[in-house]
Amino acid sequence: MSDATISFGQTTNRFGRNPSETIEQREEKPQPGVRAKTARELYFETKSSVSMEFPFWYTRRWEELEGEIPMVRRGEALKAGFEHLTPVIYPGELLVMGKASYLRGSYPLPWLSESFFMAAEDKLYKEALESGKLTADTFTTVGKGGGNVTKSIGNVISIAGKFGLRVEEVPVMLAVARKWKDKSVDDIGHKYEQLVPGYKEKEAIMRSVICMFDSGYTLPQGREVINYYYPLQFGIDGMIRICKEGIAESAGFPDMDRIYFYQSGLKVLEGIQKWILNYAAETAFLAKIETDEKQKTEYNEIHDRLTWISSKPPRTFHDALQVIWLFHVAVLNEDAISGLSPGRVGQVLYPFWQRDMKNGVIDKVRTVELLECMRMKFTELDCFASMGVVGGVLSGNTFNNLCLGGLKKDGSQASNELEMLILEAGIRCDTPQPTLSLLYDEKLPEEFLLKGVECTKIGTGYPAWVNNQVAMEFLMGNYAHEGMNLEEARAWSIGGCLESSPGSWMPLELDGEVHWIPGGSAPATSVGVHFLSLPKILETVLFDGLDLRTGERIFPSHGRKLENYKELWISFKEYFHRAVYVLTLTNNIQHDAWRKIAPSVVNSMLKPDCLKRGKDIGQMGSRYNTTFNIESTGTANLVNSLASLKHNVYDRKNFSLEEYREAIKANFGFKTAQETGSFSLVDQVATEEYHKWKRIHKMSLEAPKYGNDDSYVNDIMRDWENWFCTMGKDFRSLYDQPLYACQISVSTHGPMGAVTMATPDGRLCGTTFSDGSVSAYPGTDKNGPYALFNSATCWNHSLSQNSQLNMKIHPSVVKGREGSRKFLELIRSYLRKGGFHVQFNIVDSRMLKQAQEEPDKFRSLLVRVAGFTQYWVELGKQIQDEVIARTEYEEL
Amino acid sequence: MEKPELTGGIIFDIQGFSVHDGPGCRTLIFFKGCSLRCAWCSNPEGLNQYPEPLYNASKCIFDGLCIDACPYHAITSAGDHLIFNRDFCNHCTSYNCASACCTDALRIAGNFIDTEELFLKIQRDRQYWGSNGGITLTGGEPFLQPDFAANILKKCYQSYIHTAVETCGNIPWENIAPSLSYIDWIFYDLKHPDTDRHFSMTSTGNKLIFENAIRLSKNFKGRMIFRMPVIPGFNDDAQTIASLSEFIHTTGRDEINILPVHHLGREKYNLAGRNYYTDNFNIPGKEEMNNIRNLLEDKGIHCYIGSDTPF
Repeated sequence: MSDATISFGQTTNRFGRNPSETIEQREEKPQPGVRAKTARELYFETKSSVSMEFPFWYTRRWEELEGEIPMVRRGEALKAGFEHLTPVIYPGELLVMGKASYLRGSYPLPWLSESFFMAAEDKLYKEALESGKLTADTFTTVGKGGGNVTKSIGNVISIAGKFGLRVEEVPVMLAVARKWKDKSVDDIGHKYEQLVPGYKEKEAIMRSVICMFDSGYTLPQGREVINYYYPLQFGIDGMIRICKEGIAESAGFPDMDRIYFYQSGLKVLEGIQKWILNYAAETAFLAKIETDEKQKTEYNEIHDRLTWISSKPPRTFHDALQVIWLFHVAVLNEDAISGLSPGRVGQVLYPFWQRDMKNGVIDKVRTVELLECMRMKFTELDCFASMGVVGGVLSGNTFNNLCLGGLKKDGSQASNELEMLILEAGIRCDTPQPTLSLLYDEKLPEEFLLKGVECTKIGTGYPAWVNNQVAMEFLMGNYAHEGMNLEEARAWSIGGCLESSPGSWMPLELDGEVHWIPGGSAPATSVGVHFLSLPKILETVLFDGLDLRTGERIFPSHGRKLENYKELWISFKEYFHRAVYVLTLTNNIQHDAWRKIAPSVVNSMLKPDCLKRGKDIGQMGSRYNTTFNIESTGTANLVNSLASLKHNVYDRKNFSLEEYREAIKANFGFKTAQETGSFSLVDQVATEEYHKWKRIHKMSLEAPKYGNDDSYVNDIMRDWENWFCTMGKDFRSLYDQPLYACQISVSTHGPMGAVTMATPDGRLCGTTFSDGSVSAYPGTDKNGPYALFNSATCWNHSLSQNSQLNMKIHPSVVKGREGSRKFLELIRSYLRKGGFHVQFNIVDSRMLKQAQEEPDKFRSLLVRVAGFTQYWVELGKQIQDEVIARTEYEEL
Repeated sequence: MEKPELTGGIIFDIQGFSVHDGPGCRTLIFFKGCSLRCAWCSNPEGLNQYPEPLYNASKCIFDGLCIDACPYHAITSAGDHLIFNRDFCNHCTSYNCASACCTDALRIAGNFIDTEELFLKIQRDRQYWGSNGGITLTGGEPFLQPDFAANILKKCYQSYIHTAVETCGNIPWENIAPSLSYIDWIFYDLKHPDTDRHFSMTSTGNKLIFENAIRLSKNFKGRMIFRMPVIPGFNDDAQTIASLSEFIHTTGRDEINILPVHHLGREKYNLAGRNYYTDNFNIPGKEEMNNIRNLLEDKGIHCYIGSDTPF
């Protein structure tokens, strides 16, 4: 009898037929217009593609200018890159220009890091010769479907399991990469970070995946809000004029460092101008050969628009939309960036739109069409990074977060008619980008909120619902010493998936009237310590500083017997503190290398007050600079594990700590997730050994769990949060500022769970952690959403840059008009209690399982992961399993 | 064995964020125990008034721990599944079997909850209902535990919480009366206007139910909506609907919510050790539901299908 295989969550029952598997569909929604529909079909057929154009010209110019001041050299190199981008325009497009010459194009940035290509050199050559091999990183899975090029096919070589590169460009890539050997941000940073005492510990931390990845050379920019004010107000010629004036003011004066920034900016602006004019020339050519009269006219209109905005400020809403899009791409092209958020676009563009509406230049139908085209452009964006970053963190997403709602400068509600249309376009053209966030404030009108609900309901996962007041409170607390005040706090927006980022009000003058528009005014707000695995740190505490998986020593022995809970808790804090300390120092060095070798030019010019100060972002040119953080993953698993140990070992004394160590080593008698091929707890399979461990496993699973409004666990959660959210003050960032807590998991809970042994809360080895930071571990929140809300708000969310709550709701619950109203009540009630953020998957889990089996039939299925919406088929299996396993709120 | 004296009652679930059983977002409290035995019941674990084991054979590893733990020796192994002598289970208050089980194969449906404790949970949920929300007592049959129902309703009502009850009506009037002034809203279930037909599917005639319906209609000041599950071949024919409308007219109320029967509770029958006889019922389609609605609307009765009730 003992050989029975058991499995959690199995629904088959041998004493009766199974319930019929009727899948509840999502609510029906209106479809996109012809243009967006065509563009989307094209997008579905397109693979992520890499082109070497930009890096080739960048590197070539960089080499030519050896000995030049680095800031100017950088500007010239960027200029060369922009000038040489081949323009490609697709029929029917209303907005043009893109990152590279492919539809889903991107390119490597070897000046940040080239080691990835160097390490893969042999392999790449080999693959170029005998294509058809699968690249696979050990612990990260990239989605197998959709636009990912998971293996080399024909003349296309797969890179990082996601990007395709033409065979003939492989030698170019390697040649360019070789030029950056020992000169890239990665290499220079690495050379100097070794000078940090305790560097060996840092390496061990990275190897054990206690920390997910380095900061300085991976994604040095992003998780911030772009500011479109300067190009909208002054046009490119105006910005060039500002640079020239800046040079004239500072040349020869003691602060003449400024001239290099202005000179660099000047060069880049010239490059961007040329880039736009290249597109204009291409449209002129296309217009000439086009036979269809309507298309010909459209080409001519685009030609006229591009020519105009290549030097002057925009005249119309359509012009302005084209301007913000091209500057968005221009920033993305200077660095490896994910999470560059357009911010509150509906409010930035409102003055233009309002004027056009008044003058009869545009109507609502045309506006929605344009906004749909904008969605397609953002969706086509790709970000080139290594597999660990693309799969493990981003899930292929670029996090261009567009925010709606919030408050105006004077404190009145900020939503407007254009934002209603942005939501409408989001409903019609449901694509991952830009993802939407609704900055919820009590002052927002009901009609606007219900439109937001309508959009969330159709299953796109956006808008996410974010608490305006909580964020403002965080900003006031964190940036007060840099001059943040109430008025300025209202200009905030989400940068990236869920990072509260400071903004500023900019005086946009139109027809003699000043409109205060919001825009970002800080650099990347999540750089620093990238993702610390809380459960893994607890593991090292239990095993006295060792990584149980590899046997390697990570931290020096704490030497404690852990005889009471207090000792355990102190040891945990000690190790966590140590990890943050060493990682902060090494990451500061990497970021210093970044600001010296590849400083930001385009983004700096846009951010107030860089142009005024003549300083780039790296020299603290922007208004707010307290932007380094400490990110955490696996909060619920940590809290549940601490609760389980406290309950079972210290309070009830059911087991000794030694018994727990043995049980963890034995994985509670289960196979590992790698062996079973599923990363969700419910699919794990027991071995013969299970009977030995079943009691301790059962009691671990039954120990108090986070998410059930149990004060036993809430107290542990609150202790952790109160400590974590303030301990960042013990450290100094590169900009000599304290650090803050950032609590989003993005996709790191997959790969980090994969390298972590079983945890004392009953979670098994290799399975995915809980997502977000206030989400419950799947299946453990047994008392419904209200109990979960109470647990989630047991601490003050404004202490942290964010908190993240993911919920899965069955479509039947929120169906119809009543469903919409009640759904809004649910969302609102959580935010009113002080929750910072909540987002939803409105989907039947059975549909997701079916989609896992037949991905081809579900090419357009969107799901919400953690702070972003993505095509199901482009997600890694670890994350797919986790989304399926999430507790589903359903009513029968 | 004597049952313990109750200062609270036995429930088998509390469900927050319910959207179909009354105005606003609500918390449902499922009372355990019912005086009808409807063949289509979707909550079979709510029929008995006392906590009982639910057994999922597919999760069982047959290590015999529950067999050894049972004080009544009520569990025997049949090789690939366990057999429970449920006559004993109904008297058991130890629940040792579920405590001994390591795999989730055994759990207990139903638990005793103190009125105070329940009220604390309601107060917690209250923060999240938003406007118009409240509690709905359902089950099972709430009025089978009349003191408990009255206590919790009174407490909520006096704390300005909106209260609703869903009842099958098959209980003495004395069970309803003490609660009556603390209820804002009632869903009153009807199954069939003909008592013999009623008996054939619910093991009870409908006399008491229909008497109570009339009495309640006259005495209850709040909104009262009838509810009827539509069972094809049982109560969906024109004649039944006609006599049903006639009856509704006599009550003076004019609203009914009709619900298509479903088979989603089937799995729970296996767990509770009951046989599911209802597979031969077809699930009524959209058109059939619309036809019934039209018949009722023609008689001047407002009829809502499924979750379309306007609150």
